Amino acid sequence: MAAVEFTEETKQQVERIGSADVVVGIAGAVSPEELRPRAERILQELGSAVSSLRFVFAWPGKAPASPPGESAADNPALALLPFSPPPQAEVWAGVSANQRAVLGLAASLNARVCIVLGSDLAALDARAIQLFAYAVLDRQCGLAMPVYLAARYDGLLNSGILSPLSRALYGRRIRYPLAFDFAASGALCGALSRSNLAAENAGNALLWPVTVASTQNAQVQVGQVHIDVHHKVATEGLELSAVLGQLVGSLFHEMDVCASHWQRIRGSQATPVWGNAGEGSDDAQPIDPQSMLDTFLLGSRNLDEVWRLILPPNSLLELRRLTRLAPDQFRLPDGLWASIVYDFALAWRLRTLSRGHLLGALTPLYLGWAASWVREVSSLSNADAEQRLEQLARAWEEKKPYLLSRWRWPDRFNP
Amino acid sequence: MWQQVEQSLHSSMGLVMNKIATMLPGILAFIVAFLFFLLLGWLVSWIVSRILSGLRFDERMGRGANAMAEFSPRATPSLLIGRIVFWCFVIAGVVVGVSALGTSEQIVSGWMLAYVPRVVGAAILLLAGNVLARFVSRSVLITGVNLNLSYARLLSMGVRWMILVLTGAMVLDHLALGGEIVELGFGILFGGIVFALSLAVGLGSRDLVSRSLEREAARPPEVVPPEKIHHF
Repeated sequence: MAAVEFTEETKQQVERIGSADVVVGIAGAVSPEELRPRAERILQELGSAVSSLRFVFAWPGKAPASPPGESAADNPALALLPFSPPPQAEVWAGVSANQRAVLGLAASLNARVCIVLGSDLAALDARAIQLFAYAVLDRQCGLAMPVYLAARYDGLLNSGILSPLSRALYGRRIRYPLAFDFAASGALCGALSRSNLAAENAGNALLWPVTVASTQNAQVQVGQVHIDVHHKVATEGLELSAVLGQLVGSLFHEMDVCASHWQRIRGSQATPVWGNAGEGSDDAQPIDPQSMLDTFLLGSRNLDEVWRLILPPNSLLELRRLTRLAPDQFRLPDGLWASIVYDFALAWRLRTLSRGHLLGALTPLYLGWAASWVREVSSLSNADAEQRLEQLARAWEEKKPYLLSRWRWPDRFNP
Repeated sequence: MWQQVEQSLHSSMGLVMNKIATMLPGILAFIVAFLFFLLLGWLVSWIVSRILSGLRFDERMGRGANAMAEFSPRATPSLLIGRIVFWCFVIAGVVVGVSALGTSEQIVSGWMLAYVPRVVGAAILLLAGNVLARFVSRSVLITGVNLNLSYARLLSMGVRWMILVLTGAMVLDHLALGGEIVELGFGILFGGIVFALSLAVGLGSRDLVSRSLEREAARPPEVVPPEKIHHF
């Protein structure tokens, strides 16, 4: 299997450092002048709890003023390791490429744990590092994923598709399967760093840690840690359909590749969660989802010929019924939404139509779901909205037999 | 007189029967040659497809195959090559069959032989035009809907028919049918569409456009309220 390629300079630095217990890698360019003091402060804050561990902080970029590889300041437990950033790719693919590089470095250093963090450094604090390290080193987790502090209307694409689909497929109840921050055990670092590198379009392939962990070894324990972090995602200039195409397309690709694995999984396992869930602000201001609903209605009027190629008659009938409802009564049932996404995944596999068109045609449907969701949770608290998400995810699991039938017998099973 | 009529009919019938009798072996030869090449084409294309899949040709094509799949989702490069081989044999079968019709039809078969490349080229143009029209119109429709344009379907149909008309004109031109009428007709049609649109905007919506431009120029920079819904 292909491995992450590093420059000679990076390899020499890795040799110079030798080994590490904890590799904290930043998946994006950061200023070393900002990183170094924060790294030192974190080690001070962690104090005796990590005194026996050797830390390496890695990031894509140039070396700081003092020679790289040498212990920073007077702290022998800390080393800084800049590495050459992988070739530029699309937004999320660039993050994944950097995450793979960090994991590859951790594997080269025989690290016991690798903690990957987002480049906005929002999660670079002692609490998050401690929790991730605790989950992997003390609780023997192969993979520790974050649970972010999110409001009802945050990360809808994750709540509506990525999380429930990943959970239904791989049987792990993970709230954020595509995260900026996560930690992996040394044993899993190699597999994670190599994932999808042999794929046709490796440069733009995303890293789905939960998928890799589940397919590598069913015994790998996956945990979650609550971190009070809110990442700033630069959304300017990004079109929803393009982002949806990249993220959902990548998950569909994984689904196609790992079909033999997820077809054997039934139900889902609860994952242990550590840390305290923060209190998100319950923004009481109602939001009008009419613009999203309008896009859905426009799609239903114009994209019928495309949807007919993908969706079975039952779903089309249901969608037609929904378009006749008054805006305040508009609710997209969980089961219908799950079956729609499953049908799109099947069409992706069968190449029923161009994949770009396929994911473009999913966008109005997603906005219909988002409009329905926003209307439904507007009167709920954040905690109740989380409960509602759990209900949604269960509906996806209940619909999995439908996916299996359609996947195995696409021509015979077409309700 | 009736005798003369009867004799004349007999002789013309005899001539026709004679003609058919002389052509019959040629027709039979045409059918045999066509069927033979059809079978041969099927066999060779099957062998070529097997060899290409054995060599994992589609995977080696990588990005090229992805780009092709965008236009024709179900077609893979090896399938396309197999089909090209098959149709080459079918065309060769038609050409050989026509040649076998007999020496008396040599002028016709010679003319047909010379025309075959044009027909093939026109067929390819027609196919490519149709695929392109379908792909581009669907792209415009989906993008239009995602941009919330209420006239997305109209736009998509306009694009589709523009490409189809352009393709039709190119096909006729390639077949050397219609001569200058096609070029002239196509020029008038396209010019007419552009002229009609210009008039529609220039005369019909002149006030609307100028008001809209003035409004845009006078509008203070808009402060976008922070998004409350985050999709990602």
